Amino acid sequence: MSLEVKNLVKTFDDKKILNNISFKIENGQTLGVIGFSGSGKSTLLKIISGILSLDSGEIIYPKDSEVAMAFQYSALFDFLNVYENIAFPLLERREFRGKYSKEEIDKIVAQKLKMVGLEGIEEKFPSELSGGMQKRVGFARAIVTNPNIILYDEPTAGLDPVTSTMIEDYIVQLKKDLNASCVVVTHQLSTIKRAVDYVIMLYQGDIVFKGSVYELLEGKNDYARQFVSASINGPMNIATK
Amino acid sequence: MFELNKTLTYRGFLLLREQMAEFLITLGNIGCDFYNTVKYILKLRINIKETIEQSKRFAFDSLPISLAIVGMTSIIIAMQLAPELAKQGGADYTGMLSALVMVRELAVVMSGFAIISMVGSSFASEIASMSVTEQISAMKVLKVDPIEYLIVPRFTAGVLFMPVIFIISATFGLICAGIVSNKCADLSLLNYITSMWHGLYVRDIFIAIFKSSVFGGTIALVSSSCGYATRGGAKEVGLATTKAVVWSFLAIAMWDFVFASVFYL
Repeated sequence: MSLEVKNLVKTFDDKKILNNISFKIENGQTLGVIGFSGSGKSTLLKIISGILSLDSGEIIYPKDSEVAMAFQYSALFDFLNVYENIAFPLLERREFRGKYSKEEIDKIVAQKLKMVGLEGIEEKFPSELSGGMQKRVGFARAIVTNPNIILYDEPTAGLDPVTSTMIEDYIVQLKKDLNASCVVVTHQLSTIKRAVDYVIMLYQGDIVFKGSVYELLEGKNDYARQFVSASINGPMNIATK
Repeated sequence: MFELNKTLTYRGFLLLREQMAEFLITLGNIGCDFYNTVKYILKLRINIKETIEQSKRFAFDSLPISLAIVGMTSIIIAMQLAPELAKQGGADYTGMLSALVMVRELAVVMSGFAIISMVGSSFASEIASMSVTEQISAMKVLKVDPIEYLIVPRFTAGVLFMPVIFIISATFGLICAGIVSNKCADLSLLNYITSMWHGLYVRDIFIAIFKSSVFGGTIALVSSSCGYATRGGAKEVGLATTKAVVWSFLAIAMWDFVFASVFYL
Protein backbone atom coordinates (compact mmCIF):
# COMPACT_ATOMS: atom_id res chain seq x y z
CA MET A 1 0.00 0.00 0.00
CA SER A 2 1.23 3.48 -0.71
CA LEU A 3 1.99 6.04 1.96
CA GLU A 4 2.06 9.75 1.35
CA VAL A 5 3.14 12.47 3.76
CA LYS A 6 2.12 16.00 2.75
CA ASN A 7 3.43 19.24 4.26
CA LEU A 8 3.89 17.73 7.72
CA VAL A 9 4.76 20.19 10.49
CA LYS A 10 5.53 19.31 14.12
CA THR A 11 6.56 21.75 16.82
CA PHE A 12 7.74 21.11 20.38
CA ASP A 13 7.95 24.11 22.74
CA ASP A 14 7.97 26.63 19.87
CA LYS A 15 10.80 24.72 18.13
CA LYS A 16 9.97 23.29 14.73
CA ILE A 17 11.08 19.65 14.72
CA LEU A 18 9.60 18.86 11.31
CA ASN A 19 9.07 21.60 8.78
CA ASN A 20 6.87 21.02 5.78
CA ILE A 21 7.93 17.41 5.17
CA SER A 22 6.51 15.74 2.06
CA PHE A 23 7.25 12.40 0.41
CA LYS A 24 5.48 9.44 -1.14
CA ILE A 25 6.23 5.72 -0.99
CA GLU A 26 4.70 3.39 -3.53
CA ASN A 27 3.58 -0.12 -2.71
CA GLY A 28 6.50 -2.42 -1.98
CA GLN A 29 9.08 0.37 -1.75
CA THR A 30 11.36 1.12 1.18
CA LEU A 31 12.23 4.67 2.10
CA GLY A 32 15.31 5.33 4.18
CA VAL A 33 15.29 8.35 6.48
CA ILE A 34 18.73 9.57 7.50
CA GLY A 35 20.08 12.54 9.41
CA PHE A 36 21.88 13.51 12.59
CA SER A 37 20.50 12.58 15.98
CA GLY A 38 17.80 15.08 16.87
CA SER A 39 16.96 15.91 13.26
CA GLY A 40 13.37 14.68 13.68
CA LYS A 41 13.64 11.19 12.15
CA SER A 42 12.09 9.26 15.05
CA THR A 43 9.45 11.99 15.51
CA LEU A 44 8.46 11.46 11.88
CA LEU A 45 7.96 7.73 12.49
CA LYS A 46 6.01 8.38 15.68
CA ILE A 47 3.67 10.71 13.80
CA ILE A 48 3.12 8.23 10.95
CA SER A 49 2.43 5.45 13.47
CA GLY A 50 -0.02 7.61 15.42
CA ILE A 51 1.95 7.80 18.67
CA LEU A 52 2.32 11.57 18.26
CA SER A 53 -0.12 14.01 16.71
CA LEU A 54 0.87 16.36 13.92
CA ASP A 55 0.46 20.13 14.03
CA SER A 56 -0.44 20.45 10.36
CA GLY A 57 -0.16 18.47 7.15
CA GLU A 58 -1.53 15.14 6.06
CA ILE A 59 -0.60 11.47 6.23
CA ILE A 60 -2.43 9.60 3.52
CA TYR A 61 -2.77 5.83 3.23
CA PRO A 62 -5.70 3.57 2.36
CA LYS A 63 -8.25 3.15 5.14
CA ASP A 64 -7.77 -0.60 5.42
CA SER A 65 -4.01 -0.23 5.91
CA GLU A 66 -2.36 -1.82 8.90
CA VAL A 67 0.62 0.18 10.20
CA ALA A 68 3.27 -1.57 12.30
CA MET A 69 6.41 -0.28 13.96
CA ALA A 70 9.62 -1.94 15.11
CA PHE A 71 11.17 0.15 17.86
CA GLN A 72 14.81 1.13 18.32
CA TYR A 73 15.14 -0.78 21.60
CA SER A 74 12.51 -3.35 20.60
CA ALA A 75 10.02 -2.13 23.27
CA LEU A 76 9.09 -5.69 24.15
CA PHE A 77 6.78 -6.04 27.15
CA ASP A 78 9.21 -7.18 29.82
CA PHE A 79 6.48 -8.79 31.96
CA LEU A 80 5.42 -11.09 29.09
CA ASN A 81 7.31 -13.95 27.46
CA VAL A 82 8.10 -14.10 23.74
CA TYR A 83 4.87 -15.97 22.91
CA GLU A 84 2.73 -13.50 24.87
CA ASN A 85 4.56 -10.53 23.33
CA ILE A 86 3.89 -11.70 19.78
CA ALA A 87 0.34 -12.81 20.53
CA PHE A 88 -0.39 -9.56 22.44
CA PRO A 89 -2.30 -7.73 19.66
CA LEU A 90 -4.26 -10.88 18.79
CA LEU A 91 -5.27 -11.36 22.42
CA GLU A 92 -5.73 -7.78 23.58
CA ARG A 93 -6.77 -5.69 20.58
CA ARG A 94 -10.54 -5.22 20.78
CA GLU A 95 -11.31 -6.18 17.19
CA PHE A 96 -9.28 -9.40 17.49
CA ARG A 97 -10.42 -10.50 20.95
CA GLY A 98 -12.00 -13.95 20.70
CA LYS A 99 -11.45 -14.03 16.92
CA TYR A 100 -8.63 -16.56 17.06
CA SER A 101 -8.58 -19.88 18.90
CA LYS A 102 -5.59 -20.86 21.04
CA GLU A 103 -4.43 -23.27 18.30
CA GLU A 104 -4.65 -20.56 15.64
CA ILE A 105 -2.65 -18.14 17.77
CA ASP A 106 -0.02 -20.82 18.46
CA LYS A 107 0.29 -21.37 14.74
CA ILE A 108 0.52 -17.65 13.88
CA VAL A 109 3.15 -17.03 16.58
CA ALA A 110 5.25 -20.00 15.41
CA GLN A 111 4.94 -18.83 11.79
CA LYS A 112 6.01 -15.25 12.59
CA LEU A 113 8.93 -16.46 14.70
CA LYS A 114 10.00 -18.66 11.79
CA MET A 115 9.84 -15.66 9.45
CA VAL A 116 12.44 -13.89 11.60
CA GLY A 117 14.57 -17.00 12.02
CA LEU A 118 13.66 -17.78 15.61
CA GLU A 119 12.06 -20.97 16.79
CA GLY A 120 11.54 -22.62 20.14
CA ILE A 121 12.02 -19.47 22.24
CA GLU A 122 8.33 -18.89 23.00
CA GLU A 123 8.76 -19.39 26.74
CA LYS A 124 11.75 -17.06 27.13
CA PHE A 125 11.41 -13.55 28.55
CA PRO A 126 12.90 -10.51 26.75
CA SER A 127 15.62 -10.16 29.42
CA GLU A 128 16.88 -13.64 28.47
CA LEU A 129 17.44 -12.69 24.82
CA SER A 130 20.37 -10.99 23.06
CA GLY A 131 19.90 -7.55 21.45
CA GLY A 132 19.61 -9.07 17.97
CA MET A 133 17.03 -11.63 19.12
CA GLN A 134 15.03 -8.92 20.86
CA LYS A 135 14.97 -6.93 17.61
CA ARG A 136 13.73 -9.97 15.69
CA VAL A 137 11.05 -10.71 18.29
CA GLY A 138 10.07 -7.04 17.94
CA PHE A 139 9.80 -7.58 14.18
CA ALA A 140 7.70 -10.73 14.71
CA ARG A 141 5.34 -8.81 17.00
CA ALA A 142 5.12 -5.95 14.50
CA ILE A 143 4.18 -8.26 11.60
CA VAL A 144 1.75 -10.48 13.52
CA THR A 145 -1.21 -8.56 12.09
CA ASN A 146 0.19 -8.73 8.51
CA PRO A 147 0.81 -4.99 8.14
CA ASN A 148 0.95 -3.16 4.80
CA ILE A 149 3.16 -0.39 6.14
CA ILE A 150 6.13 -1.20 8.38
CA LEU A 151 8.14 1.46 10.17
CA TYR A 152 11.61 0.61 11.49
CA ASP A 153 13.26 2.94 14.02
CA GLU A 154 17.05 2.40 13.90
CA PRO A 155 16.74 -1.36 13.37
CA THR A 156 20.49 -2.03 13.51
CA ALA A 157 21.47 0.40 16.28
CA GLY A 158 23.72 -1.19 18.88
CA LEU A 159 24.21 -4.44 16.96
CA ASP A 160 27.42 -6.01 15.67
CA PRO A 161 28.00 -5.87 11.87
CA VAL A 162 27.04 -9.50 11.25
CA THR A 163 23.79 -9.26 13.20
CA SER A 164 23.13 -5.93 11.44
CA THR A 165 23.45 -7.64 8.07
CA MET A 166 21.06 -10.35 9.19
CA ILE A 167 18.53 -7.73 10.37
CA GLU A 168 18.86 -5.88 7.04
CA ASP A 169 18.13 -9.14 5.20
CA TYR A 170 15.03 -9.67 7.32
CA ILE A 171 13.81 -6.14 6.51
CA VAL A 172 14.08 -6.96 2.78
CA GLN A 173 12.54 -10.42 3.21
CA LEU A 174 9.60 -9.25 5.32
CA LYS A 175 8.81 -6.51 2.79
CA LYS A 176 8.66 -9.17 0.06
CA ASP A 177 6.67 -11.66 2.14
CA LEU A 178 4.08 -9.10 3.20
CA ASN A 179 4.21 -6.92 0.08
CA ALA A 180 4.50 -3.95 2.40
CA SER A 181 5.77 -0.39 2.11
CA CYS A 182 8.51 0.40 4.60
CA VAL A 183 10.14 3.41 6.22
CA VAL A 184 13.54 2.76 7.78
CA VAL A 185 15.12 5.37 10.03
CA THR A 186 18.83 4.66 10.25
CA HIS A 187 22.33 6.03 10.66
CA GLN A 188 23.93 3.00 9.03
CA LEU A 189 25.09 3.27 5.45
CA SER A 190 25.06 -0.53 5.19
CA THR A 191 21.33 -0.54 5.94
CA ILE A 192 20.78 2.14 3.29
CA LYS A 193 22.74 0.15 0.72
CA ARG A 194 21.15 -3.22 1.45
CA ALA A 195 17.57 -2.52 2.45
CA VAL A 196 16.44 0.82 1.02
CA ASP A 197 15.13 1.94 -2.39
CA TYR A 198 15.40 5.68 -1.95
CA VAL A 199 16.37 8.14 0.73
CA ILE A 200 15.40 11.41 2.34
CA MET A 201 17.78 13.26 4.62
CA LEU A 202 16.57 15.51 7.42
CA TYR A 203 18.49 18.40 8.92
CA GLN A 204 16.97 20.76 11.46
CA GLY A 205 13.49 19.58 10.51
CA ASP A 206 13.85 20.12 6.75
CA ILE A 207 14.42 17.65 3.95
CA VAL A 208 17.87 18.54 2.60
CA PHE A 209 18.26 15.56 0.28
CA LYS A 210 15.79 13.38 -1.58
CA GLY A 211 16.89 10.76 -4.08
CA SER A 212 17.97 7.23 -4.81
CA VAL A 213 20.65 5.38 -2.88
CA TYR A 214 22.94 5.82 -5.87
CA GLU A 215 22.41 9.60 -5.81
CA LEU A 216 23.10 9.67 -2.09
CA LEU A 217 26.39 7.83 -2.49
CA GLU A 218 27.32 9.82 -5.59
CA GLY A 219 27.86 12.82 -3.33
CA LYS A 220 26.61 15.61 -5.57
CA ASN A 221 24.47 16.99 -2.76
CA ASP A 222 26.58 18.77 -0.11
CA TYR A 223 24.52 17.43 2.80
CA ALA A 224 24.59 13.87 1.44
CA ARG A 225 28.33 14.09 0.83
CA GLN A 226 28.99 15.25 4.38
CA PHE A 227 26.83 12.47 5.82
CA VAL A 228 28.31 9.71 3.64
CA SER A 229 31.89 10.86 4.26
CA ALA A 230 31.18 11.33 7.98
CA SER A 231 32.92 14.69 7.81
CA ILE A 232 32.58 17.41 10.42
CA ASN A 233 33.11 19.98 7.67
CA GLY A 234 30.11 20.79 5.54
CA PRO A 235 26.77 22.57 5.51
CA MET A 236 25.57 20.71 8.62
CA ASN A 237 26.87 22.31 11.78
CA ILE A 238 27.05 19.58 14.41
CA ALA A 239 28.02 21.97 17.23
CA THR A 240 24.75 23.88 17.02
CA LYS A 241 22.43 21.04 16.19
CA MET B 1 24.98 45.02 40.79
CA PHE B 2 21.26 44.63 41.32
CA GLU B 3 19.64 42.54 38.63
CA LEU B 4 16.02 41.57 38.86
CA ASN B 5 16.44 38.10 37.38
CA LYS B 6 19.11 37.22 39.94
CA THR B 7 17.31 38.32 43.09
CA LEU B 8 16.32 35.67 45.56
CA THR B 9 12.67 36.82 45.47
CA TYR B 10 12.55 36.49 41.71
CA ARG B 11 14.08 33.02 41.80
CA GLY B 12 11.62 32.09 44.51
CA PHE B 13 8.80 33.35 42.33
CA LEU B 14 10.04 31.30 39.36
CA LEU B 15 10.30 28.18 41.51
CA LEU B 16 6.80 28.72 42.88
CA ARG B 17 5.46 29.22 39.35
CA GLU B 18 7.16 26.02 38.23
CA GLN B 19 5.75 24.08 41.19
CA MET B 20 2.26 25.44 40.57
CA ALA B 21 2.45 24.47 36.90
CA GLU B 22 3.66 20.98 37.86
CA PHE B 23 0.83 20.66 40.40
CA LEU B 24 -1.82 21.69 37.87
CA ILE B 25 -0.42 19.41 35.15
CA THR B 26 -0.42 16.42 37.51
CA LEU B 27 -3.95 17.24 38.64
CA GLY B 28 -5.02 17.54 35.01
CA ASN B 29 -3.42 14.20 34.08
CA ILE B 30 -5.12 12.44 36.99
CA GLY B 31 -8.44 14.07 36.07
CA CYS B 32 -8.16 12.97 32.41
CA ASP B 33 -7.16 9.43 33.37
CA PHE B 34 -10.05 9.26 35.84
CA TYR B 35 -12.49 10.46 33.18
CA ASN B 36 -11.26 7.89 30.64
CA THR B 37 -11.20 5.10 33.24
CA VAL B 38 -14.78 5.76 34.33
CA LYS B 39 -15.83 6.03 30.66
CA TYR B 40 -14.37 2.57 29.93
CA ILE B 41 -15.90 1.05 33.06
CA LEU B 42 -19.34 2.43 32.16
CA LYS B 43 -18.95 0.91 28.68
CA LEU B 44 -17.97 -2.35 30.42
CA ARG B 45 -14.61 -2.28 28.66
CA ILE B 46 -12.89 -4.05 31.53
CA ASN B 47 -10.08 -6.51 30.84
CA ILE B 48 -11.12 -9.33 33.20
CA LYS B 49 -7.84 -11.26 32.99
CA GLU B 50 -5.74 -8.19 33.86
CA THR B 51 -8.19 -7.14 36.58
CA ILE B 52 -7.86 -10.55 38.26
CA GLU B 53 -4.07 -10.30 37.95
CA GLN B 54 -3.98 -6.83 39.52
CA SER B 55 -6.49 -7.83 42.20
CA LYS B 56 -4.16 -10.62 43.28
CA ARG B 57 -1.32 -8.11 43.61
CA PHE B 58 -3.55 -5.62 45.40
CA ALA B 59 -4.87 -8.13 47.92
CA PHE B 60 -1.91 -10.40 48.56
CA ASP B 61 1.03 -7.99 48.29
CA SER B 62 -0.30 -5.48 50.77
CA LEU B 63 -2.18 -7.71 53.23
CA PRO B 64 0.78 -8.79 55.40
CA ILE B 65 2.13 -5.26 55.82
CA SER B 66 -1.39 -3.93 56.37
CA LEU B 67 -2.02 -6.51 59.09
CA ALA B 68 1.33 -5.71 60.70
CA ILE B 69 0.74 -1.94 60.76
CA VAL B 70 -2.91 -2.08 61.89
CA GLY B 71 -2.12 -4.83 64.43
CA MET B 72 0.82 -2.96 65.98
CA THR B 73 -1.09 0.33 66.09
CA SER B 74 -4.09 -1.27 67.79
CA ILE B 75 -1.83 -3.04 70.31
CA ILE B 76 -0.07 0.24 71.18
CA ILE B 77 -3.36 2.12 71.55
CA ALA B 78 -4.86 -0.63 73.72
CA MET B 79 -1.69 -0.79 75.86
CA GLN B 80 -2.01 2.89 76.68
CA LEU B 81 -5.79 3.20 76.71
CA ALA B 82 -6.94 0.14 78.66
CA PRO B 83 -4.89 0.62 81.89
CA GLU B 84 -5.69 4.36 81.94
CA LEU B 85 -9.42 3.78 81.49
CA ALA B 86 -9.30 1.01 84.12
CA LYS B 87 -7.70 3.44 86.62
CA GLN B 88 -10.50 5.97 85.98
CA GLY B 89 -13.15 3.28 86.32
CA GLY B 90 -13.98 3.28 82.64
CA ALA B 91 -12.53 -0.06 81.58
CA ASP B 92 -15.85 -0.95 80.01
CA TYR B 93 -15.32 1.76 77.43
CA THR B 94 -12.11 0.20 76.08
CA GLY B 95 -13.85 -1.92 73.47
CA MET B 96 -16.06 0.91 72.37
CA LEU B 97 -13.20 3.38 71.95
CA SER B 98 -10.98 0.82 70.23
CA ALA B 99 -13.74 -0.08 67.80
CA LEU B 100 -14.56 3.54 67.05
CA VAL B 101 -10.96 4.49 66.42
CA MET B 102 -10.20 1.32 64.50
CA VAL B 103 -13.24 1.12 62.23
CA ARG B 104 -13.85 4.78 61.61
CA GLU B 105 -10.26 5.84 61.13
CA LEU B 106 -7.18 3.80 61.89
CA ALA B 107 -7.72 0.56 60.01
CA VAL B 108 -8.70 2.21 56.77
CA VAL B 109 -6.03 4.93 56.87
CA MET B 110 -3.24 2.56 57.96
CA SER B 111 -4.27 0.01 55.32
CA GLY B 112 -4.20 2.85 52.81
CA PHE B 113 -0.64 3.72 53.82
CA ALA B 114 0.38 0.06 53.53
CA ILE B 115 -1.16 -0.18 50.07
CA ILE B 116 0.51 3.05 48.91
CA SER B 117 3.91 1.77 49.98
CA MET B 118 3.48 -1.79 48.68
CA VAL B 119 1.22 -1.56 45.65
CA GLY B 120 0.89 2.12 44.67
CA SER B 121 4.64 2.64 44.38
CA SER B 122 5.00 -0.55 42.33
CA PHE B 123 2.14 0.49 40.00
CA ALA B 124 3.82 3.86 39.43
CA SER B 125 7.33 2.54 38.83
CA GLU B 126 6.12 -0.30 36.61
CA ILE B 127 4.04 1.94 34.34
CA ALA B 128 6.71 4.68 34.34
CA SER B 129 9.34 2.12 33.24
CA MET B 130 7.01 0.97 30.47
CA SER B 131 6.58 4.56 29.39
CA VAL B 132 10.30 5.43 29.21
CA THR B 133 11.16 2.17 27.41
CA GLU B 134 8.49 2.85 24.73
CA GLN B 135 6.38 -0.15 25.78
CA ILE B 136 3.34 2.13 26.07
CA SER B 137 4.08 3.57 22.62
CA ALA B 138 4.31 0.00 21.29
CA MET B 139 0.92 -0.73 22.85
CA LYS B 140 -0.56 2.27 21.05
CA VAL B 141 0.91 1.18 17.68
CA LEU B 142 -0.50 -2.32 18.26
CA LYS B 143 -3.87 -0.57 18.77
CA VAL B 144 -4.29 -1.73 22.37
CA ASP B 145 -5.50 1.15 24.51
CA PRO B 146 -3.01 1.62 27.41
CA ILE B 147 -5.67 3.19 29.64
CA GLU B 148 -7.91 0.16 29.14
CA TYR B 149 -5.08 -2.33 29.56
CA LEU B 150 -3.09 -0.68 32.36
CA ILE B 151 -5.19 1.78 34.36
CA VAL B 152 -8.75 0.38 34.27
CA PRO B 153 -7.78 -3.04 35.75
CA ARG B 154 -5.68 -1.43 38.50
CA PHE B 155 -8.43 1.06 39.37
CA THR B 156 -11.06 -1.71 39.44
CA ALA B 157 -8.82 -3.90 41.61
CA GLY B 158 -8.30 -0.98 44.02
CA VAL B 159 -12.02 -0.21 44.33
CA LEU B 160 -12.94 -3.87 44.87
CA PHE B 161 -10.11 -5.13 47.05
CA MET B 162 -9.21 -2.28 49.40
CA PRO B 163 -12.46 -2.94 51.36
CA VAL B 164 -11.44 -6.60 51.72
CA ILE B 165 -8.06 -5.58 53.11
CA PHE B 166 -9.75 -3.08 55.41
CA ILE B 167 -12.22 -5.63 56.79
CA ILE B 168 -9.49 -8.20 57.47
CA SER B 169 -7.13 -5.60 58.99
CA ALA B 170 -9.80 -3.99 61.17
CA THR B 171 -10.94 -7.39 62.48
CA PHE B 172 -7.34 -8.34 63.19
CA GLY B 173 -6.72 -4.98 64.91
CA LEU B 174 -9.77 -5.35 67.14
CA ILE B 175 -8.74 -8.89 68.12
CA CYS B 176 -5.24 -7.63 68.99
CA ALA B 177 -6.68 -4.74 71.03
CA GLY B 178 -9.01 -7.16 72.87
CA ILE B 179 -6.17 -9.51 73.81
CA VAL B 180 -3.94 -6.63 74.97
CA SER B 181 -6.78 -5.08 77.01
CA ASN B 182 -7.27 -8.42 78.67
CA LYS B 183 -3.58 -8.74 79.51
CA CYS B 184 -2.94 -5.10 80.52
CA ALA B 185 -6.18 -4.19 82.30
CA ASP B 186 -7.77 -7.54 83.16
CA LEU B 187 -10.71 -6.70 80.93
CA SER B 188 -12.59 -9.83 79.97
CA LEU B 189 -12.96 -10.50 76.24
CA LEU B 190 -16.73 -10.73 76.66
CA ASN B 191 -16.85 -7.24 78.21
CA TYR B 192 -14.59 -5.95 75.47
CA ILE B 193 -16.84 -7.34 72.71
CA THR B 194 -20.04 -6.11 74.39
CA SER B 195 -18.51 -2.66 74.86
CA MET B 196 -17.52 -2.51 71.18
CA TRP B 197 -21.16 -2.39 70.07
CA HIS B 198 -22.05 0.47 72.45
CA GLY B 199 -20.34 3.04 70.26
CA LEU B 200 -20.06 1.37 66.90
CA TYR B 201 -23.01 1.26 64.54
CA VAL B 202 -23.57 -0.73 61.36
CA ARG B 203 -23.64 2.62 59.55
CA ASP B 204 -20.02 3.22 60.63
CA ILE B 205 -18.98 -0.08 59.11
CA PHE B 206 -20.67 0.69 55.79
CA ILE B 207 -19.16 4.17 55.69
CA ALA B 208 -15.71 2.70 56.39
CA ILE B 209 -16.14 0.09 53.65
CA PHE B 210 -17.21 2.81 51.21
CA LYS B 211 -14.31 5.01 52.34
CA SER B 212 -11.82 2.16 51.84
CA SER B 213 -13.17 1.56 48.35
CA VAL B 214 -12.66 5.26 47.49
CA PHE B 215 -9.15 5.12 49.00
CA GLY B 216 -8.29 2.00 46.96
CA GLY B 217 -9.51 3.53 43.70
CA THR B 218 -7.69 6.78 44.45
CA ILE B 219 -4.37 5.07 45.24
CA ALA B 220 -4.54 2.92 42.10
CA LEU B 221 -5.55 5.85 39.88
CA VAL B 222 -3.03 8.36 41.26
CA SER B 223 -0.16 5.86 41.15
CA SER B 224 -0.96 4.63 37.65
CA SER B 225 -1.50 8.15 36.36
CA CYS B 226 1.81 9.42 37.77
CA GLY B 227 3.57 6.49 36.08
CA TYR B 228 1.70 6.91 32.81
CA ALA B 229 2.68 10.58 32.45
CA THR B 230 6.40 9.84 32.87
CA ARG B 231 8.81 10.87 30.12
CA GLY B 232 12.60 10.62 30.19
CA GLY B 233 14.75 7.98 31.87
CA ALA B 234 15.65 6.26 35.12
CA LYS B 235 15.67 9.51 37.12
CA GLU B 236 12.14 10.32 35.98
CA VAL B 237 10.94 6.83 36.94
CA GLY B 238 12.22 7.48 40.48
CA LEU B 239 10.62 10.91 40.57
CA ALA B 240 7.31 9.50 39.29
CA THR B 241 7.31 6.87 42.05
CA THR B 242 7.99 9.49 44.70
CA LYS B 243 5.31 11.73 43.24
CA ALA B 244 2.81 8.84 43.22
CA VAL B 245 3.47 8.11 46.90
CA VAL B 246 3.26 11.78 47.97
CA TRP B 247 0.12 12.47 45.92
CA SER B 248 -1.55 9.29 47.18
CA PHE B 249 -0.86 10.29 50.81
CA LEU B 250 -2.26 13.75 50.15
CA ALA B 251 -5.29 12.38 48.33
CA ILE B 252 -6.05 9.99 51.19
CA ALA B 253 -5.72 12.78 53.77
CA MET B 254 -8.06 14.92 51.67
CA TRP B 255 -10.65 12.16 51.23
CA ASP B 256 -10.47 11.37 54.94
CA PHE B 257 -11.28 14.99 55.73
CA VAL B 258 -14.16 14.97 53.23
CA PHE B 259 -15.61 11.77 54.73
CA ALA B 260 -15.27 13.07 58.30
CA SER B 261 -16.93 16.35 57.30
CA VAL B 262 -19.79 14.74 55.38
CA PHE B 263 -20.61 11.83 57.71
CA TYR B 264 -19.48 12.84 61.20
CA LEU B 265 -19.66 16.62 61.44
